[in-house]
This record gives sequence, structure tokens and C-alpha cells, in this order.
Amino acid sequence: MKVREIMTKDLLSVERDVRVRDLVFLFASADVSGLPVVDDDGLLVGFISEEDLVRASLPRYVEMLPRASFIPDVGQVGKRLAAIADDPIEKYMRRDVVYVHAEDESLKAAHLMIRKGVRTLPVVDGEGRLVGHVKRIDVLERLL
Amino acid sequence: MIVTVTPSPAVNRVYWVDRLKVGLSQREEFLTRAERSATSAGGKGISVSLVLAHLGMENVAMGFVGGHTGDLLLHELRGEGVTTNFTWTKEETRTNVTVLERGREHIPVQINAPGPEVSEREVDRFLRRYRRMLLRAVWVVLGGSLPQGVGPQFYHTLTDEARRAGVKVALIASGEPLLSALSARPNLVKPDTRENPTLDGIDLASQEGILRAGRAIVNQGVDTVIVSHEVTGDIVITPEAEWIIKTQVSGTRLVELVGADAALLAGFLFRFEGGARLEEALRFGMAAAVLSAEGEARCCRNRGRIEEEMARISLERL
Repeated sequence: MKVREIMTKDLLSVERDVRVRDLVFLFASADVSGLPVVDDDGLLVGFISEEDLVRASLPRYVEMLPRASFIPDVGQVGKRLAAIADDPIEKYMRRDVVYVHAEDESLKAAHLMIRKGVRTLPVVDGEGRLVGHVKRIDVLERLL
Repeated sequence: MIVTVTPSPAVNRVYWVDRLKVGLSQREEFLTRAERSATSAGGKGISVSLVLAHLGMENVAMGFVGGHTGDLLLHELRGEGVTTNFTWTKEETRTNVTVLERGREHIPVQINAPGPEVSEREVDRFLRRYRRMLLRAVWVVLGGSLPQGVGPQFYHTLTDEARRAGVKVALIASGEPLLSALSARPNLVKPDTRENPTLDGIDLASQEGILRAGRAIVNQGVDTVIVSHEVTGDIVITPEAEWIIKTQVSGTRLVELVGADAALLAGFLFRFEGGARLEEALRFGMAAAVLSAEGEARCCRNRGRIEEEMARISLERL
């Protein structure tokens, strides 16, 4: 089965200069945890997720802490998030995007999701333009 | 690929009733119980997208959506095979209500809610997406009313950008948004006459009025104008010829008029882009519209059925 047969045909995406606060609004409105980043030609150039924003809002040393209880209080995180709210998302997006082609086998999508630990994969056409996305649930639904 | 734009989409709620009770005083009955109801995604561009998807034609629906009803609308569109590319707004997508009374289905009662307020920032976000989509489009269909916060020049801007990008434009609109877009020279215009059957002061109730208004639009550089006339007798005006589309359908058989004009346009674009001549594409479009109005749910999944219906449709030169 091809990826195009199981993908959601939605082109919701953001541009590199979108502000963090607008991205948070989009995540909440569209009920998504991550979005592809595209350029003016619709070519996929990055991906940004809630995780990327949370990481950007936490002090750098947090990743070295052994337990979550050592994380500073939420107020500090909130302050950091407010400080980056008007930053362009380009600063925090991932450029090494994991994606699939619409004509790839859906098994490849499932394999990438497991190996890379991602929940959503952007889907592109032969020219690298965004044409949809595949979620883990899409693959699971088809397997049942 | 065809891109459709519905700036003020809606979730349509249709109620079928035996008799619509409208109390004129407090003593009269005013509660009407519906026999059944249905919910669907609505709006001019969206209706075009749905028919195109049923015909198997790749298309992308654009516009503004918000809140729970916006989510519902997107879900419906994706379920029908339409690719979505909507801009999210803070305010919720509207809900429109249609009441169809038994025996009077061809005269629906329709109440449309005002569209949500769309901010300048949201319009800018939409425009960036729209420009990207123009790189992939052959036709853009612009349709329906404009939400609050969007100026009447909106369709002019979208038409102008599309034409500069070499993309053809079909426009279904009324009032100021329609009139202001004409100077940007859309290729096809279908005035929406449901609310106000006039165009630039010309009454569109008579054939004479329609021809006068249609010629005025064609003189501004538009290739084709289609105007609804007597339910199924649409009039077509082009620089080369004028026709009335003749059908052999009784008005009372038409029970689902909402969306029929979108079916006509979608059918026309599907056939025209497939290489058909204008007259044949118009007959195909009208056949799709008739089947849609006769209540054949998802009529357009069956192309053969539309072609059968075409046999009952002719174009008479005026």
C-alpha cells in the first residue's frame, strides 16, 4: 500500500518567519503536535514540534538532569517561553526533516516512525512539495 | 489542479419538516419537529471542491476555519477526498440552517449566520498560502460571501494575483465583492442571485435584464458569464455567442437546490479542462447541477449518470 493511500491530504504548514506565539495558536487550534515548515515554493525545509518549543523554553542544563523533579518551576519556563514568543520559528525548527514520498510504500513510513521516534511524517511529491502527512494512527488504522 | 477559495465557509445543517410552523402570535404553535436532519460542509468553493473530488479531479480547498465547527468541516472535506489548506482563525466557523418543507423543497428556507471576524494577520497568512498554491493551480474558483474584517476588494486582489500568475479564475459572488473583482478580469463569472437578484442596478429576473448585465460584464474582459434563470434555464453570455440552457426537468422535482450552482460550475470546469468545447462543458455542468438538485446524493461519483442526463439538456442560441 502506498503512502498516498493512507495519508491525510492536508497542507497545513508554516513559514520560517512565523512567530512562536502564532505557532502555539496553530498547534492548539488544529490540534496537532508538530507542523512542516515550507518555503515560498511550497518545498519542505523543516519541521517544528511542541517538543522543540518545550526544549527551547527550558534552560540548557535540564537535559543533563537525572530526574524531572530537578526541573526549575513552571514560572521560569513560562518566562522563557514568553521571551521567545516573538522569535521566528526558524530558530527552533529541525532542518533534518524525516519525511516520505507519496509513492513510497506505507511500510517505509511505519519503519521511519519507529526508528526515528516521530508521530507525524510530512509527505512530499516528486518535486519535494508538501502534499500531506501521515500519523502513527493512520498506519495503525490501516493495519487493523 | 483546481484551487477553490471559500472565505466564509459554513457547517450546513439541513432539516426536513412536514410543515414549518411560523407562529404569528404567542398563542399559535411555533415548535416544528424535524423528521430528519443532516450536517455537511458548505460554502460555494467548498461545494465545488466536493463535486470535483467526486468526479476524481485533484483539487485543494482553501479559506478560513476556526473552532469546533471548523474542525468538523475539515474532517468532512478530507473524508470526501478533498485536499485542505485552510487558515485557522480565532473565531469559530459559522453554521447555516436550511429548512426543507415537504412538497416545497424547491423553495428552501435558508438562514445563514454572519461569518466570523477575520483579522488582518489572518488575511496575510492566507495570502501567503494562496500565492504558494498559485504555483500549482490551473484554475482558481473564488466563491461565496466574505467574512467580517475582509474588505470588498478581497476578490479583486485574489483575481489579480491569479491572473498575473497565469492562472484562470472563476468567480461566484454578489454585490460589491463581485463588482470590484470584474476589473481584474476573471475568466468566468457566475453572479450569486439568491439574496439580491440584481447586478449593478440591473434586475436579473428577466432574460432581457440578464443579457444586458451579462454583456456589461463581458465588455469588461470576462470570457464567460453564467446567470441563473427560472431555476434550470441558465443563460450564458460570451463575447462570441449567447445561449439559454434548456432542460426537460420539472421545477418540483428539484428538492436540493443548495449547491446546484456549484455542481454546475464544477461539472463545467471538469469537462472543459478535460478538453471539451464550451457548449459540451456547459451541458455536462448543467447535467451535474440537475442531478444534484434532484437530490441524488453524491451524484457526481457516477460520470456515466451525468452523461445520460446530458441527453436531456440542450443549448439554444439567443
